[in-house]
Amino acid sequence: MNISSRLRLFFSSSILEVILVLLCIMLAFSASGFLTADNLLNVLRNVSMQGVIAFGMTMVIISGEIDLSVGSAVAFAGCLTAFLTQKLSGEWALLPLSLAIAVSILITLTIGFLVGTFTGFMRNRYQVPSFITTLALMTGLSGAAELITNGFPLTPFPAWYNFIGGGYVLGIPFPALLFLLTFAILQFLMNYTSFGRTVYAVGGNAEAARLSGINVSRVKTMVFGITAFLAALSGIMVSSEIMSGTATTAKGWELDVIAAVIIGGTSFMGGVGRIWGTMIGVVFLGVMMNGMTLLNVSEYWQHVVRGTIILVAVLLNLLQKDKGGR
Amino acid sequence: MNTQIHTLQTLSLRKEYPGTVALNDVSVSYTGGQIHALIGKNGAGKSTLVKLIAGATRPTSGSILVDGKEVSLQSPRDALQRGIVAVHQELSLVPELSVAENILLGRLPKKTGLGGSIIDWKRVDTRAEEILVGLGVHLDVHARASTLGVAQQQSIEIAKAMSYEPSILILDEPTSALAQHETERLFELLRTLKGRGVVLLYITHRLQELREIADTVTALRDGSLVGTISIAEATSSTIVHMMFGEVVQSVRPSDLVYPTEPFVEVRSFSRHGVFEDINFTVNKGEILGIAGLLGSGRTELLRALFGADPVDSGELIIDGRGIRPSSPGQMKDLGVVMTPENRKDQGLVQLLNTRINACLASLNRISTRGFVTRGREQVYVDRNIRDLNIAVANTEAPVAFLSGGNQQKVVIGKWLNTQPRLVLLDEPTRGIDVQAKQQMFQIIWDMSKRGISCIVVSSELEELLDICHRILIMRQGKIISSVRPDEISLENLFAVCMKEEV
Repeated sequence: MNISSRLRLFFSSSILEVILVLLCIMLAFSASGFLTADNLLNVLRNVSMQGVIAFGMTMVIISGEIDLSVGSAVAFAGCLTAFLTQKLSGEWALLPLSLAIAVSILITLTIGFLVGTFTGFMRNRYQVPSFITTLALMTGLSGAAELITNGFPLTPFPAWYNFIGGGYVLGIPFPALLFLLTFAILQFLMNYTSFGRTVYAVGGNAEAARLSGINVSRVKTMVFGITAFLAALSGIMVSSEIMSGTATTAKGWELDVIAAVIIGGTSFMGGVGRIWGTMIGVVFLGVMMNGMTLLNVSEYWQHVVRGTIILVAVLLNLLQKDKGGR
Repeated sequence: MNTQIHTLQTLSLRKEYPGTVALNDVSVSYTGGQIHALIGKNGAGKSTLVKLIAGATRPTSGSILVDGKEVSLQSPRDALQRGIVAVHQELSLVPELSVAENILLGRLPKKTGLGGSIIDWKRVDTRAEEILVGLGVHLDVHARASTLGVAQQQSIEIAKAMSYEPSILILDEPTSALAQHETERLFELLRTLKGRGVVLLYITHRLQELREIADTVTALRDGSLVGTISIAEATSSTIVHMMFGEVVQSVRPSDLVYPTEPFVEVRSFSRHGVFEDINFTVNKGEILGIAGLLGSGRTELLRALFGADPVDSGELIIDGRGIRPSSPGQMKDLGVVMTPENRKDQGLVQLLNTRINACLASLNRISTRGFVTRGREQVYVDRNIRDLNIAVANTEAPVAFLSGGNQQKVVIGKWLNTQPRLVLLDEPTRGIDVQAKQQMFQIIWDMSKRGISCIVVSSELEELLDICHRILIMRQGKIISSVRPDEISLENLFAVCMKEEV
């Protein structure tokens, strides 16, 4: 293979990465303050809370399913943590505050995981499409968050709690570290484990996977569980950032998350997609938003641009596949 | 009715894809009122030729003449308007619509008035009825397509094709899903069409059908025309020679011993309305055939043994333990595996590459504590490629790019990687060329020699006689007989399968 065809292969298979780099170069020249360590870390911090969910959502979509409940799950998880903390340390006076927080976080993450397995259960046991179950959960969890908070933000957290969503380790935002850690774990899971292989197989052709002796139900349940767990983690991060459990946070996040996954090249038909692609999709949207804010583009325009990007990215992916396919 | 004798000609028809010549200056000439068989192994250029004639793709150069006039076909729609109709191997009926609706799909007669947007159901029924009667097919035009058998569905496809009043009708492997007596019915239909001057182009893998139905035989090899001969000149050896050049036919190996050590016992397996009280034993290394017509319960039995479908009662005795199969995963762990009838949709994940597909069933063997690397999988897939002679250029490319025969080998490789003890093969040679078929036989014999038992279900009875140690005959959900291949002739085997059915 000569250099030019090698280059062509690189560009056609990594088109999104190339565009992202070009975008960064453009912004570096046009938007003052873009190419500073502070700003770039800020971008990373801003994307991290939606980003952790996006990696899980990638698995869900690869497995041929969808999860619309993640936005509400974020709000619910934040409220639940705050609620439990308040009850455990205050009203019921069972535990000292720091221990109460730790226990609340554990319970919240567990319940998050269980909510996901519930979606899986409905899918496997009763063949309820995940679109429907998670649509119901989206409304239900949002309502549950309002219920336990009575519609007002709960603020039982001490100042140090802000570390999870707003702290720094060696100059790097702590939520960004959680984001990178989640990326590393799921990247490994999807590429170097039997489980990862079966997720692709189940999404590519569930019947063929079943007839290969794969436990399709278990795979789907795990994938939903992991995603809902990550949504709960995200909810804890958000509650720490805003120092309260607020039922109205994270409205519409499910769509932002799905957008990042799609931009990253994951096919809505299932069976195709990469965690790395989602990483690029998440960062791409983050950089775009940051750049436009620095350039004082109005928020309304930002939405229009975002919508356009989703379409163009999907189109690019499809065209690329057409060329690669024959 | 139209009784004009139509003609079809191609002049130096050529189709190039990047890197390959799929069809190399092919010139053929066909007249109506005859059935022209088109043969050739997979990749010989048959489907390319058909696609060009049916307007599905455009030639690089050359031309197509219908009734002596050159036609330029930009799309299948163009071809339809010229009276060129193709019936593809996969049926394309809408299951929830009626027979009549399917036949006239997209062209349902409308009532005049109201802008011509109201369907005239009376005319839909009479028109469909007319077409079916013309073909000598007796079907209720109101029946839903999904309630009909494969053969009847095939008749609807042909009726649908006939509703376009074609001058040229292309049939791509129409018998691949049919049982023998259904094939007979199809042939009668084709003979009716012959009388109407239609040019019939008939693609098949089943050489034994040629003599029965075809008037001329055209062979393609590696994209080039080998020649066209009349059926009178076509002896089996001429045909095989035209298709393959020189090939070695592998014959039943002489060292295939008859195994006697029992391995699995099936006890009173029943599933209501599908099969009933099935009892048999498979010996270690035995190749056991199951013969029977479509609908005899043979495929359903195989699926139930693999745990893919539930059973109402009965058990398998393996290693002295009684097992009720409940899932493919459970049976796989016991060493019982199945290559499904429909390998494209059920045997492989077409989107994924050959490496992942080949390792999909044996991940627990290949991984250590759940961790898998590409290198470790590569060892397994390389061994499959070597042992099974799989022609695959790149194991990282989607398995969909492989030919039918090679895909089937990947399915078998996938199971060999699990070190199975009993392999259930449902129609292992369907839709694959003669050469690949021979290799498939060899693979089955090799498995037998290694002590792996096989149960083979096949519609091609002569195939069972060739490869099996013993054949069970199923009829209407019951095993009615067990024979050894040397005890029965093909005709008798066929007769036993058919009895009470006609």
